[in-house]
Amino acid sequence: MLNKIWTIFKRDVKVNFREVMPLYIMLAPLMLAIGINLITPGINDTTVNIALIEGENPAQEQCLNEFAHVETFPGEAEVLSRVKERDSLIGILPGDNGYYILAQGNEPESVVEYAKLLNVFFESGVDIENSKASIVEFGETVPPVKKMLVNILLLMIPMLSGMLITLNIVEEKADKTISAINLSPTSRTAFILGKSLTGMMISLVTTVVCILITGFYNVNILLLLLVAAASTVLAMTIGFIQGINNDDVMEAVGSMKLVFLPLAGSVAGYELLSGGWQAFFWWSPFYWSYRANNIILGKEGSAGELLLYTAIIAAICITAYALMLPRIKKGLQ
Amino acid sequence: MISVKGLYHSYSKDDKYAVKNVSFEIPKGEIFGFLGPSGAGKSTTQGILTGLLSLQKGDVSVAGYDIKQIKQEMFNKIGMSFEQSNVYSKLTALENLKFYSRLFDVPTRDPKELIELVGLRGKENIRVGEFSKGMKHRLTFARSMINNPEMWFLDEPTTGLDPAIAANIKDIIREQNNKGITVFLTTHNMYIADELCDRVAFIIDGEIKLIDSPKNLKLRYGKRIVDVEYIDGSAKKKGSFSTVEQKDRDALASILHSKEILTMHTKEATLEEIFIKVTGRGLGVSEAS
Ligand SMILES: Nc1ncnc2c1ncn2[C@@H]1O[C@H](COP(=O)(O)OP(=O)(O)OP(=O)(O)O)[C@@H](O)[C@H]1O
Ligand SMILES: [Mg+2]
Repeated sequence: MLNKIWTIFKRDVKVNFREVMPLYIMLAPLMLAIGINLITPGINDTTVNIALIEGENPAQEQCLNEFAHVETFPGEAEVLSRVKERDSLIGILPGDNGYYILAQGNEPESVVEYAKLLNVFFESGVDIENSKASIVEFGETVPPVKKMLVNILLLMIPMLSGMLITLNIVEEKADKTISAINLSPTSRTAFILGKSLTGMMISLVTTVVCILITGFYNVNILLLLLVAAASTVLAMTIGFIQGINNDDVMEAVGSMKLVFLPLAGSVAGYELLSGGWQAFFWWSPFYWSYRANNIILGKEGSAGELLLYTAIIAAICITAYALMLPRIKKGLQ
Repeated sequence: MISVKGLYHSYSKDDKYAVKNVSFEIPKGEIFGFLGPSGAGKSTTQGILTGLLSLQKGDVSVAGYDIKQIKQEMFNKIGMSFEQSNVYSKLTALENLKFYSRLFDVPTRDPKELIELVGLRGKENIRVGEFSKGMKHRLTFARSMINNPEMWFLDEPTTGLDPAIAANIKDIIREQNNKGITVFLTTHNMYIADELCDRVAFIIDGEIKLIDSPKNLKLRYGKRIVDVEYIDGSAKKKGSFSTVEQKDRDALASILHSKEILTMHTKEATLEEIFIKVTGRGLGVSEAS
């Protein structure tokens, strides 16, 4: 059984990489990820770089090093010329009454504020052990727009792999090959699982690649994958049904577009509606995925909360899958 | 190898049967021909025997397996060449056979060897989407042998092939049969049926009219057909008469008695003529080869 699932999986992957349409669907998220990087500042760019005078105050240097990337220079003039370079680097220099902040003027406000804050930390003797606040502060350096766009991208990826399933089923129907599979000692379940494995792997791999492209190295990728896996189950169920109900590739892909409506609605609902109205979206797995991803990407929330969301998504998706499975099996006759 | 008793099938699940009260037995090692006009119920019967269609009524066993509850492992023992070719157009010929061979639990044949067997040597690495209809059909035929089936179903294996290739396919079928493989052959091609089949069944409107060997059929109907050309009034007419059936004998006698005879000779009947004689209907499609 397992090697047959693997055989079916390998064939589907091979075909997906051979055809323009599946290739396009697989590359689209990666292009979008690059696009997101271009229009929003990356999270790692906002890690604050600080320039100090070498040996001027070793205690300060050690303290700031815990919160930011510190470079040291021989003297004030060198710090000044370094700050003038194009990137965001803040100088903290000794002045007449305490330290002063030296900036070029075009740095993001948050960076300057952060540098000021760090200086205050040092002056008031705060270090990383007694400063929970600094961790939250660091999380805030992810631009909210970027987090939202990446989250939407993460919701789209499972839907796209559902589309791949649709394309594969339509291909099998056009070539009438399902009857040949049915005349081999390969069960319909193995066939469905083989195709599902294709959708699942492509969905998860794309998710990881998109996370890495957009620079969220420090988030819990496993949790994101868990959320993605649950919604991929739903996407594939829809993919199978669409494949069975359509004979034409364009028609099938076109009808998959409809899925993006509840997706967009759920995101808008979460972002725009106040607490009480959110209940209107509780039925939607997209809503819960978005909410869970939001917490994971922002490195917020408790493990229990995440587990609850993931359980809700999984429950909705697996119920849909279980309800549809008999129809899928029948449709493949 | 195959036993069918009282088989009925209705697509609309009512009393409009596509197959009605069909019964036959095929012993191991036989080539059994299933002949009938379009829409007679040949593919339907074959579909039930291979488990593609569900069994509604009747007792059917294939290769020792009861079709009522098909066991997965039965498919290791049967092979099927489809009427309409069904291979992956996005895979090459070789990839198609390799993929299919991995779906079986029994030793499979070398895909390259099978491709060469059906005359597609040199085309292994071409995507099937670029194949002609006949080439796809041959690949479908080749694929049906991949698991060394004991029971081999062939639905129109020579349709759309040129005579030389059809003859090649015919040789392959005979060769396989010599190795002891049982064959269920559906065809419109009477020459192939005549040459290959140990026994044939004539099926019309879902019912089997007759089952016998081509040899017996010819003994009964062949050589005893008289072709007569005669003048009836001012028109030239032609007729074929059986010398066994009383109705024909009377008709022939009356012509001999009262008409002017131009030519008259006995001849060997073809399977097609016998079919028409027995069923009162032609086969509709007949091939040149
Ligand atoms: N899927 C189907 N749904 C409904 N009726 C069908 C279906 N397939 C076949 N039939 C009907 O069943 C009857 C037998 O069809 P079948 O395909 O078995 O004929 P056949 O002998 O194989 O013909 P051919 O020589 O054209 O292949 C026909 O009347 C046909 O219209
Ligand atoms: Mg048919």
